[in-house]
Amino acid sequence: MTLLLAVTLVALQAPAQGVDPRLQRLDSITRPMVAALVDSARAAALPTEPLVQRALEGATKRAAGDRIVAAVRRLALDLGHARDALGITTSPPELTAAAAALRAGAPAATLTELRRIRRESLTVPLAVLTDLVSSGVPVDSAAAAVLSLAAKARDADLVEFRRAVERDVALGAPPASATAAAAAAFTTADVQVNAGARQQRPGRP
Amino acid sequence: MRPPGAARQAWAASLAAAWWLLGPPAPDAQTTGTIDVGVSSVRYDGFLASGAASVSPSLRWERPTGTLTARGTYLRFESGHRSLQGLVAGSFLIRPGAQHWRGELSGSLGASRYLDFASFWHATADARLHILGADGGAWIGATAGGTSYGRAARPVTGAGIGAWARRSQVTLAASATRSFVGDTAYSDFVSTAQTRRGTLALDASLGVRLASLGGGHGVFGEASATLALGERTILFVAGGRYPTDPVSGSVAGRYVSGGVRLRLASPARIASRTALPSGSRQRTPDDADPVAGVRLDLLPQPDGAVRIVLYVADSAAAGVELAGDFTDWQPYELHRTGDGTWEAVLPIPSGLHRLNVRIDRGAWIVPAGLTRAADDFGEEVGIVAVP
Repeated sequence: MTLLLAVTLVALQAPAQGVDPRLQRLDSITRPMVAALVDSARAAALPTEPLVQRALEGATKRAAGDRIVAAVRRLALDLGHARDALGITTSPPELTAAAAALRAGAPAATLTELRRIRRESLTVPLAVLTDLVSSGVPVDSAAAAVLSLAAKARDADLVEFRRAVERDVALGAPPASATAAAAAAFTTADVQVNAGARQQRPGRP
Repeated sequence: MRPPGAARQAWAASLAAAWWLLGPPAPDAQTTGTIDVGVSSVRYDGFLASGAASVSPSLRWERPTGTLTARGTYLRFESGHRSLQGLVAGSFLIRPGAQHWRGELSGSLGASRYLDFASFWHATADARLHILGADGGAWIGATAGGTSYGRAARPVTGAGIGAWARRSQVTLAASATRSFVGDTAYSDFVSTAQTRRGTLALDASLGVRLASLGGGHGVFGEASATLALGERTILFVAGGRYPTDPVSGSVAGRYVSGGVRLRLASPARIASRTALPSGSRQRTPDDADPVAGVRLDLLPQPDGAVRIVLYVADSAAAGVELAGDFTDWQPYELHRTGDGTWEAVLPIPSGLHRLNVRIDRGAWIVPAGLTRAADDFGEEVGIVAVP
């Protein structure tokens, strides 16, 4: 709430510091409001490119100006929360991915833990986490799987893990099971458990 | 013919479980529903062969620490006679401190009825201790409970051990159990194999019943194959011979079946109500293909660029455009490289990206192959991770 207030106040008061020319695609009412939000984010040392892209997305989709402003403002808040969770040294791509993860429902504590256990960039692990949650994997299952892999797995392994989950879900596995099974392929397996709820062979009369 | 008492109670229990499943969705829960519709040729031991049609709805509620399944089966034989079965089974996992050990407590409650025979019901509880490795594991367990077929309940006890291993795409398992149901006793030794190749999954089992006192004996085996036609529809064929199950009351029989399994979406949507904030929503099996016949693949190239391939079933499409955060959301025209295939190669940095496509200047859509999310503007956007 404090951040929202600060962003809004700065947006209202701060003069635009050279409006991004790409924002010319916005109408004359929306453009200065988005530009002010971008300026305030810049002043707060948050990445501005995602905000510009969000505004451009709205313009391309012919969204109303107030919806574009609201979307940009919300993303700015998400970026702020993401930085709170990951720390001030976080790169812009990581912050963008973290904001998406938070928006998808990932807990801030998961992001903080991810930062603690992984030395490499968090961009792809966060992207995979977001993708899993958005695809229907329960949040704690997705978080547990990504955390179990993130310490050692390469980015390509994580993407392959994501594809394995998607494939199994498409073939009928419940998302949480598919996630556990795919994570097990990299770490410890959890298959052959759940004796009381085994699937019945289809078609047995 | 009205469903007789015990089976009706089982169905009622299944419906009650379904109601409970759908009512209070936990934020980290996953609920899936399927309905199998099929036809069978079956010959129960001691009966004439018969054709049968079946409908089997199933609901499965799942959390990382456990599952609950409610399942019913309605069989109508060519004689006009009907059989009803209902089952509610749950399993709860306990994770002790040791990394590779799991405890499991499970329970099963079911009933069945055929014609005017006595109704069966059973209630059993199982406890298992698992040791898990990367590609294999083993368990030891015990069972206790009761079963009845129209008279006083008989006690059920049992013990078993099992092991499994996974090699490449094949999972093998074997188990040995000794069961006591009243004055009936028997030992089952069963092995199973499962494999999956693309959309085809195969599952087979082979077993033998030995040292039996009133439970029958001999070799039994079953096999089934499922073929996914999409993310909602799966064809299945199955057949084989299964033994008498004195616990649930099923009679040994031979069968061949075929049918279709339909995946239901609404339970997962209900579960997702509290699982996600309004800015994003879960994709469920039935809506994972938002625009039939349009699919996008992103293929990272060695030089850092990404090859974008869009498959469009409508070969009459004259133009396909893509817009995303890597094009400043300016429409970028893909070029046709084959019948229904459109491509572009663009520099896309590693990370999470948002994009949409449109065909012949139509609405912006999310092709299959991407995760969908609400886009803040009342529409949807595709999300993809580029390594």
